[in-house]
Amino acid sequence: MSGSPKLAVQFEGVSKVLAGRQILDKLSFDVREGETFVIIGYSGTGKSVTLRHMVGLMAPDEGSIRVENEEITTMSRRELEIMRRKFGVLFQSGALIAWLTLFENVELPLLEHTKMSRKKRAEIVQEKLEIVNLWQDREKYPAEISGGMKKRAGLARALALDPGIVLYDEPTSGLDPVIANEIDKLINRLKREHHMTQIVVTHDMDSAFEIGDRIGMFYKGSMIQIGTPEEIQSSTIPEVQHFITGGREGAISRRANTAVIRGVAPGMLSQRSLEAIESEAPVATAEQGYVLLSEEEAAAAALQPQEETEGPVDTAGPRNATPSLEPEETDA
Amino acid sequence: MSWTDNVITRALKGAGFTLVLLLEAIGHSTQIWRRRRAIFTQMHVIGTQSIPIASFFMLLIGMVFALQVGIEFARFGQTNLVGLVLVAAMVRELGPWMVGFVLIARVGSSMAAEIGTMQVAEEIDALEVMSINPASFVVMPRIVALSIMGPVLTVIGTLVGIVGGGIVSNLQLGVTWSDYLRFAEDGAEALDIYWGLLKSFVFSIVSGSVACAIGMKTSGGAVGVGRASRNTVVLSLTLVVFFNYLLTSFYRIVKMFVSGVL
Ligand SMILES: Nc1ncnc2c1ncn2[C@@H]1O[C@H](COP(=O)(O)OP(=O)(O)O)[C@@H](O)[C@H]1O
Ligand SMILES: [Mg+2]
Repeated sequence: MSGSPKLAVQFEGVSKVLAGRQILDKLSFDVREGETFVIIGYSGTGKSVTLRHMVGLMAPDEGSIRVENEEITTMSRRELEIMRRKFGVLFQSGALIAWLTLFENVELPLLEHTKMSRKKRAEIVQEKLEIVNLWQDREKYPAEISGGMKKRAGLARALALDPGIVLYDEPTSGLDPVIANEIDKLINRLKREHHMTQIVVTHDMDSAFEIGDRIGMFYKGSMIQIGTPEEIQSSTIPEVQHFITGGREGAISRRANTAVIRGVAPGMLSQRSLEAIESEAPVATAEQGYVLLSEEEAAAAALQPQEETEGPVDTAGPRNATPSLEPEETDA
Repeated sequence: MSWTDNVITRALKGAGFTLVLLLEAIGHSTQIWRRRRAIFTQMHVIGTQSIPIASFFMLLIGMVFALQVGIEFARFGQTNLVGLVLVAAMVRELGPWMVGFVLIARVGSSMAAEIGTMQVAEEIDALEVMSINPASFVVMPRIVALSIMGPVLTVIGTLVGIVGGGIVSNLQLGVTWSDYLRFAEDGAEALDIYWGLLKSFVFSIVSGSVACAIGMKTSGGAVGVGRASRNTVVLSLTLVVFFNYLLTSFYRIVKMFVSGVL
């Protein structure tokens, strides 16, 4: 690449064990200033954990993390607080404060960290809420709005202090295609007009190709490939190919796709497919290699062994605790 | 590591976390004025809205207590003394911990669930990322509100309980109001009243920080939130009866000291 672009974030050999599992395994990658860096990868493998390391919510067992050339792993709590102001973070579910209205949620960082007048704050809140098209809903509480609106409001809040780096955890998941496209456009606009560095975790491949300057495929704790959308699209690495096609030979996945691989590698799982897995239905075994199911097939498979009971599949329990999703080695 | 070691380590870790969180919240009490809106909201939820249930509780406890004591005292023709015993028991014991129990059931459990939900929904993380300390933004207003409203409710509850005892004494035991009140006055001295308030202050701090700490440590979705709420009630009740014993023992020593025995 041309010259040596300034780096916003650098991970070097970052490892982390959580609950006895190696979630990050010598993870290394750089994010350049002003670029949109997309992290793709299977659910429950550690992409959110990676983002949490970036803002110091989690500390690595080993390795170095630098933000604008400052090592953050050795920072004190106070230093971290200052460092974090460089970031705006959009959490997976929006993470709005339940007892504050949308207006108050977006106003919160301004209220806490600036000495702006009420009028000035209101102006900024209006500007940010208009960006995400929620100004008319400013008096609503988080419980009164849809998931997509929560995400957009979360984004408005993340942008409130005009951060240099914005992190997005699955910004388009759970949104309808039109809103998802709006978010993609917004991310591109923030890059174009505000030169923000943006790091986006997603498994929405449409979105990844639309917004990404570079895409990194996260797999088993590290990046198995980092490249431009074109490079990723024509990747020869089987795991990357498999992921971006959603398991369908030769096809780039579209938004609605669903692939279930049981005992091999976790796929992009819809709720129904997850139920199929959790119900221990004999969908496929590791010996069979990749076995892909459509959503209907997965649902049918889930029902097969328990036709007598006909009850809803029990999905109680921690969302993330899906040990059956652990990737296992296969002889590809 | 054996099973007991494991339990002990976890208990110590939990206690340590709770204590640190409480100290942090106390450290942030410099921001009381800034967070006055949150504190007033909590005082309303914790205090004002608890008045009916706490009063109902204490009224009936006062009534039952007076009846039971009345049955015994009647054997010695001393029914007049019901007020004295009732007030002593209400001010020193029943008031502080029955109100404490009401607050644990009504407020502590929901506080843990609320904060637990925030943790599970990444709201606590979002605060951290925005460099807003949850100990200041979430925990401090709740503990401050609880430690103000706990004693206030205890005063209200104790008075209602004494009235309840009076009603029963008057209607069922045949004690006149003036006799009841005359002896009731002797039931508690200033030290007793201060001690009762101290107790309810301690109970409020204990149950408030337990609820917040367990809430902050919640993981595992809706199931985890339910568990947090349940653990909060069990642990707070246990700690409150334990601290109550300590405080009563301490009270005895102070009382002996004051009256010159020691
Ligand atoms: N605080 C934690 N303690 C223990 N395990 C965790 C913690 N956070 C995440 N994990 C585990 O790490 C794995 C990766 O999680 P995550 O990064 O959320 O996945 P995703 O790639 O879908 O974002 C999951 O198996 C999750 O259960
Ligand atoms: Mg995630």
